[in-house]
Amino acid sequence: MSGQYHRSHSRAWFLERPGYIRFMIRELTSFFVAAYLVVLILTLGRAAAGEAALAEWLQALSGTGWMVAHGVALVMAVWHAVTWFKAVPQAMPIFIGEKKLDAPVAAVLMGYGPWLTVTAGVVWWAVR
Amino acid sequence: MSDSKTITLELFRYHPETDSEPRFQSYEVPYDEDWVVLDAINWIKDYVDGSVTHRWSCRMGVCGSCGMMVNGEPKLTCAAFLKSYYPFPVRVEPLVNFPVERDLVVDMDGFMEKLRDVKPYIIRDDVNDTSQGEYRQSPAELAQYKQYSMCINCMLCYSACPVVGHEEEFLGPAALALGHRYNKDSRDRGKSERMEVMLSNEAMWGCTFVGECSVVCPKHVDPAGAIQQAKAMGAQEYFKRFVMPRGAGTKGAGASRGAGA
Repeated sequence: MSGQYHRSHSRAWFLERPGYIRFMIRELTSFFVAAYLVVLILTLGRAAAGEAALAEWLQALSGTGWMVAHGVALVMAVWHAVTWFKAVPQAMPIFIGEKKLDAPVAAVLMGYGPWLTVTAGVVWWAVR
Repeated sequence: MSDSKTITLELFRYHPETDSEPRFQSYEVPYDEDWVVLDAINWIKDYVDGSVTHRWSCRMGVCGSCGMMVNGEPKLTCAAFLKSYYPFPVRVEPLVNFPVERDLVVDMDGFMEKLRDVKPYIIRDDVNDTSQGEYRQSPAELAQYKQYSMCINCMLCYSACPVVGHEEEFLGPAALALGHRYNKDSRDRGKSERMEVMLSNEAMWGCTFVGECSVVCPKHVDPAGAIQQAKAMGAQEYFKRFVMPRGAGTKGAGASRGAGA
C-alpha cells in the first residue's frame, strides 16, 4: 500500500456548491436567449415574405402557449443580462487615475445604463 | 479555555503505507471561541494523535500553507473560527482537486509547475543594468496590477474551481492571475512569452467564469476577473499577430528610468 490518493469527481459536480448552481442557471438561460433569437429571425423572414405573412405569424405568436414562451424567455433574458452586467466590472475594470471605479457604478455605466437607454429608444420608436 | 465544552473534529485520514482508502476519524477537542480550526488540529496532534499530518506555518493568513476543506468549503484553517461551527461537528479534509499525500497534506507539484509556466516575474533584457537608477512606476500604473499581486498561493481557488478538477491542461486561477499581474506591470516586457503559454488550447480558455475562485480567495485577489481581462488581452494579441506579424505585444507600456528620487 503506497502512493497518493486521487479523489474522483462527481458527475453531479454542479450541485456541490450554490455558486456552481448559479453558474449553471446562468449558462442555461443562454439557451432561452438563443431560442428567442430563432423566433426573431423567423419573424424577420415572415416580414420579408410580405405584410399578410407577417400578420399571420404575429397572430400565431399571440396564442396562449406563445405568450407563456415570451414571458419565460423575457425572464431568462433579463436574468442572463443581469448576471453578465454583474460580471462586467470584473472583466473590464475602469480606472480613474489610481482609483478603480466601484463595481455598482461600473455596472450602471457599462451595463444597465446603455441597456435602459437602448430599451427606451426601442420603446419610443415602437409606440411613436 | 472556557468551561468543559468540546467540539467534534472529523479529520480525513489517509496513510499511503497502510490505507488503500481514506477514512474519517473523530476527535473531541476543547472548545474555545478564540480558537481557529488550525488550533484544534494542532491540539489533536500535540495531545491526542501525533500521527495526524497537516501543513501550517504563520497562523496569520500570510503564508497560505494551511488551506483545507472545512465542512466542504476551501478555507485557510488559521482564519476559520470554531465559533462559526459550534456546536456542530467540523469536518476537515485536504483541498480537493489535488492528489492526497497523507492525511490533510496534498501534492502541490502540479500547481507549482503551472505557476512556473506563466513566468511570474518581471522579464526584460536590461534587468542587470542598474546604473541608470530604478524603474519608476506611477501609483496609477501600480493600481493596474496591485490587487493581483496579493496572492499567497494558498490554492483555495484551485479547490473551488470545477474546471481545475476536470481539465488537466487548465493553468488554474492563481497561476493565471499572477501571469496577468506581470502582464499588467509597466516594468515588464515579457507579455508575449507569457501569452505564448496562456493562449495555448485550454490553458486559459478553459475558464468558464464560474467565479467561485474569487469568492473563496482570502486575499480578495479576484482571479476570475484577472482571467477575463487576460482573455481579452489574449484575443488582442491573437489578432495583432495577423495585423503586425513582427513584434506584436513584445513591448509593454514602458517604465521610465531615472536617477533615484
